[in-house]
Amino acid sequence: MLPKFDVLTEEQVDKIHKNSMHILSEIGVEFSYDPAIEVLKSHGQRVEGHRVFFDPEFVENMIEKAPAKFTLHARNPKHNLVCGGENIIYMPGYGAPFIYEADGVKRDATMEDYNNFVKLAGASKNMHMTGGTVVEPTDIEDEIRHLKMEYSHIINSDKCFMGSSSGYEHAKDSIEMAAILHGGFDVIKEKPALSCLINSVSPLKYDDRMLGGLMAYAETGQAMVIASLVMSGSTGPATMAGALSLQNAEVLAGITLAQCINPGTPVVYGSTSAITDMSTGSLSIGNPENALFTSASAQLARFYGVPCRSGGGLTDAKTVDAQAGYESMMVLFAASTTGVNFVLHTAGILQYYMAMSYEKFVVDDEIAGMILRYIKGYDCDTDEKMAFDVIEKVGPGGHYLTQKHTRKNFKLEFFRPELSDRQSFDGWSKESLDTNQRAKIKWQKTLETYTPPELDSEIQEKIEAFIEKRTKELLK
Amino acid sequence: MNAIYDEIKEAIIDGDEELAIELAEKVVEEGINPVEAVQLGFIKGIEDVGQSWIIGEAFLPDVMMAADAMQAGMEVLETVLANVEGDDAYEDKGKIVLGTVEGDIHDIGKNIVGALLIAAGFKVYDIGIDQKAEDFVAKADEVGAEIIAASSLLTTTMKSQKVLVEYLTEKEIRDKYKVIIGGGPTSFKWGEEIGADGWAETADEAVELCKQLLK
Repeated sequence: MLPKFDVLTEEQVDKIHKNSMHILSEIGVEFSYDPAIEVLKSHGQRVEGHRVFFDPEFVENMIEKAPAKFTLHARNPKHNLVCGGENIIYMPGYGAPFIYEADGVKRDATMEDYNNFVKLAGASKNMHMTGGTVVEPTDIEDEIRHLKMEYSHIINSDKCFMGSSSGYEHAKDSIEMAAILHGGFDVIKEKPALSCLINSVSPLKYDDRMLGGLMAYAETGQAMVIASLVMSGSTGPATMAGALSLQNAEVLAGITLAQCINPGTPVVYGSTSAITDMSTGSLSIGNPENALFTSASAQLARFYGVPCRSGGGLTDAKTVDAQAGYESMMVLFAASTTGVNFVLHTAGILQYYMAMSYEKFVVDDEIAGMILRYIKGYDCDTDEKMAFDVIEKVGPGGHYLTQKHTRKNFKLEFFRPELSDRQSFDGWSKESLDTNQRAKIKWQKTLETYTPPELDSEIQEKIEAFIEKRTKELLK
Repeated sequence: MNAIYDEIKEAIIDGDEELAIELAEKVVEEGINPVEAVQLGFIKGIEDVGQSWIIGEAFLPDVMMAADAMQAGMEVLETVLANVEGDDAYEDKGKIVLGTVEGDIHDIGKNIVGALLIAAGFKVYDIGIDQKAEDFVAKADEVGAEIIAASSLLTTTMKSQKVLVEYLTEKEIRDKYKVIIGGGPTSFKWGEEIGADGWAETADEAVELCKQLLK
């Protein structure tokens, strides 16, 4: 593994930390949800209305209770994942309401798209999880959407996945489904199986829905990513240091609340901070500033001793073109080389989280493969890897193509592209397919040949019965 | 021409809210023609900023601060403007009630739309975030608005836009207002589905939409 590099000096980390603590104690954070206010009040924090003013020392103590790493359990233990340390976890994009097709058509995302993206992530060797809310299936009533989405992850793959954080009740449903899958609440409390995404509303707020979700996950010991998306220039200061301090304050406030509810509950420090495009007011994510926020967040998470979520294959492009490629590579590369552990939005995102694209998913999957190879770095451990013997054998002026050493090692050392074209011009020009066209062929083929791993029929029936019962209750 | 008009214009271009209020107070105190102060001062300033915006020389903070200054100054003049009657009376381009729908507390996009509408000469009543259908309608009724504009950023709160249209239909006042919607997950198709009068993807397009609707 490559050593992770820092983008802030120790002195800068200290300044950001102190600035955030100052924000937390002097300005405070607004929590709209009364049960959350009660928890913080009972832990001695000063509360005025819905605004909580944090004691810096208390925050530091609570952050310390959060584990530096934890294991997320999959129904197939082969896919269990360690979140934290040097590990990196890739998964699809999250939450996009639209699909942009290869020919530029924009349409609403559906449950069929949902299932397809879960299958593509299940089939990919670079996606460690199948993610969560891989698209917003707007053809399903939102009262029961969370049930259908989680079911898709359960039956279409045996990798780890995320659950709903859309309010206390939906979060509880998600956790119950995971409990049925893994053999009970006691089992998953001991071995967390589910994770979710909790977002602040910048600047300095958390809403009811997210706080309800946070409390449900904390109570049951399931993992959560507590994230802030500061749009530097609009929902946060236009200076990088100011926006980072604000983001840091929000995330620390969320982690503190989670640790108050259940000390030691697994949390991930999350950031998706980026900038505002000052000509349109829209979020812009495919840029060096986002890469810097990403890397600084990884460093802050290391400073606090918790895993980090940030980055991804992020772009503002509307189609799979050169912009989509170079922006996504920049942000995913920054995330992966500076120590982000949990990379939501690794694959599929177009136009600042607004859309998923099948072709973009394939492109990002390729980028992910390239980066996973890159961060493995050099292997200098054995004589074979140092290759003195074979260098001696070939001597000056020979070649290595017919050496056993070559035949064995190139497969171990070289990244093998699945999408990139390395043919000659004549070879390529037979079909003249660009990346977008090749990606379309690839995902269609993957879906055709993918067989979801089998699920114990008894468990499947139990889960289906639960969904049926809850659907009746929620839609009445 | 009174020199204060140029000062007002500059205050708007600079986005100087305090100065805009101060100058408006001076207009009232000294009995300067308020309609002229608006047309030759405030509107000239905001038009200047609007023009720079269109050619890409002004950015959001420039436009939004100018709009804030304009709104603050105009508020001071409200009473004296109302007293001017007949052909000389000041008329805005239309009244718009703007807000974020129930369950949703995101407001950046809405604020940008509001500022650009003000810059385009509309009178905007921003009722804030997490607003029920009845709150939109109550404000629209109170101020005699022609357009109700509802924003939503979440797929889970989009349905509140539908609720708003349904509420108007139910109260049999659907024809009284034009309803326009916007926000990240919304679309032209969604607008049609819920029977809104218009949808816009960007703030610029929202301004164009309002101009079209009030033609």
